Amino acid sequence: MEVTRMSSTASRTYLDQFPAEAKVIKAAFWSSFMALAIGGLLGLVQALHRTDVLRFIDSADYYTVLTAHGILLAITFTIFFLVGIFTWAVTTSLDRGVVDIRFTWAWYIMMVVGTILVGVSILGGVVDAIPMYADVLFTFYAPLQAHPAFYVGLVLFVVGSWLAGADWFRTWWAWRKENPDERIPLPTFMALTTTLFWYLCTLGVALSILVFLLPWSLGIVDSVNPLLTRTLFWYFGHAVVYFWLMPAYMMWYIMLPKLSGGKLFSDPLARVVFVLFLLLSTPVGIHHQYLDPGIAEGYKFIAMTNTMFLLLPSLLTAFTVVASMEHGARQRGGTGYLGWLKALPWRDPVFTGMALAGLMFAAAGFSGMINAGMNINYLVHNSWWVVGHFHLTVGTAVALTFMAAAYWFIPQVTGKELWSRQLALGQVLVWFVGMTFMSNAMHRAGLFGMPRRTAEPQYQGFNFDPAVGTVGEINAQVALGAVLLTVALAMFLLNMVLTSFNDDSDSLPANTYAGTLSGPEDSPAVLDNLKLWTAIAVVLVIVGYTLPLASIVESGGLFGPDIGGFQLAIETDPALVLESVREVMP
Amino acid sequence: MRISKGALLVVIAVLIPFVVEFRTALSWFGIELSVLESLVLGGAAILAVVLWAVWPPNGNAEAELSGSR
Repeated sequence: MEVTRMSSTASRTYLDQFPAEAKVIKAAFWSSFMALAIGGLLGLVQALHRTDVLRFIDSADYYTVLTAHGILLAITFTIFFLVGIFTWAVTTSLDRGVVDIRFTWAWYIMMVVGTILVGVSILGGVVDAIPMYADVLFTFYAPLQAHPAFYVGLVLFVVGSWLAGADWFRTWWAWRKENPDERIPLPTFMALTTTLFWYLCTLGVALSILVFLLPWSLGIVDSVNPLLTRTLFWYFGHAVVYFWLMPAYMMWYIMLPKLSGGKLFSDPLARVVFVLFLLLSTPVGIHHQYLDPGIAEGYKFIAMTNTMFLLLPSLLTAFTVVASMEHGARQRGGTGYLGWLKALPWRDPVFTGMALAGLMFAAAGFSGMINAGMNINYLVHNSWWVVGHFHLTVGTAVALTFMAAAYWFIPQVTGKELWSRQLALGQVLVWFVGMTFMSNAMHRAGLFGMPRRTAEPQYQGFNFDPAVGTVGEINAQVALGAVLLTVALAMFLLNMVLTSFNDDSDSLPANTYAGTLSGPEDSPAVLDNLKLWTAIAVVLVIVGYTLPLASIVESGGLFGPDIGGFQLAIETDPALVLESVREVMP
Repeated sequence: MRISKGALLVVIAVLIPFVVEFRTALSWFGIELSVLESLVLGGAAILAVVLWAVWPPNGNAEAELSGSR
């Protein structure tokens, strides 16, 4: 049965429909873009430093730059954009505003305050006037220790995101009272299921910060158990990957089919996919700890099995989205087995950016399978391969989708036409090419053992042995990719800034999303039973984590065997360095 | 043109990872290309795609050009 879903006020932009919400979304997007600008620039600094092309920071400060790059891009950029998209999705698909716009502004401001605290703490690593430090990298687990302000900032940011989720639930509950017999509209369903696993996974990191890391940083407790904080971080740390990805998935499901000129192939399949992510995102984090001593191999094997199940929703997505695009292309006159590809709107930067991001995500899926396999993971663990992998996932599947989506969303929430579609098309292509060069070289470098997370990857008295080419070529390829990515970033920001100064336009497209070929009436009502899926997700987490956590606490103690911690940026004691050198070179 | 200009740009962009990976794949068969050889190969592939894209589908370029005048 063919169903077309779109807002009842289809001829108007989002700004016309929800002017108050549009302001919050615009603010969230700009917060996201600022984080992208700073974090992206720091990425260039790192790439040029590591590859020895241009060095103007001290190698000891590399970790401050790396921490800022990771936090600003992986946490701030992605989640600010997410809260903007989800607020749009809930209000548009329910065709009603949020319950209380003051509450919406409150969580946004809380996230901003958290970001500022975290950012200033990290900046303290290179600015002597700021008496703070947080060279703890994106993963921020012990034994690296940050200033308390860093942890407080993270808590505020995460609690802000929790309140954002509460805002979306309140809005849905209000809608449900008015529409008791209606199925949850697909975009709202996607936002709510994602929020539920966000609540579930952030409990781990909240526990880690509030019970262990913050009291330890404040001096209330003397030590922590590093393995416990690592495990609690990765309990959150893999699910956060899906938290970034779900808004991108949402865009692929509800925007790409519309941009292609057609409809979503199957609403029920999309619901199944999001339910699977709710169930499986969290109990898999131990696959990041395959090389951690202190966790039994059996638990790691269970985590690997769960991880492999996660391929299912990704493959379902690939099928559904490509089928939807093919439907759209055939509606536009496309024919043949592959000839329909020519009928897609490749001149549209929104479509092309999202499609290329999806293509890159397919490559990321293959390298992700290698990361997830216990035995082959040993080959690439902690190598540059992993960095290449997540630059395909968060750095392209997510970031490129978000940038492409911004070309549609910013006009919707500002009422101004995009400054240049040609520049936008060029931007998504340059990003794609830049990431091709950079991530390919990183993957290849990882295969011959080049480590990640170091400013000085080239050890003295040792030569890496690349399968093809030379280390110099690999470095040149990374540097070239990083420069192209920075150019693409500048093109994006220029377009966004100039769009903001554009005149108001009356010719913007209406605020709609894709209809469906098979609608929610074709799916069992149980798919909308959020309580049931949440309960099963909780059970899976208990099954996946109870025994490993109990084992870690039993063997290392709740607060660890007197681990004092390290503050990398504060000082470097030459005696300690010499001692380390003597250990490896007696 | 056989495809739109936008589609041509996308095809060229997508060609780049194939050219980059092709070098690695060839090494499995004992064929090791230098960077310069890879660049020449990539340039040739892009040129071929551009020629294919701008060539009239029936192959009769002169007729197409005279008809368009």
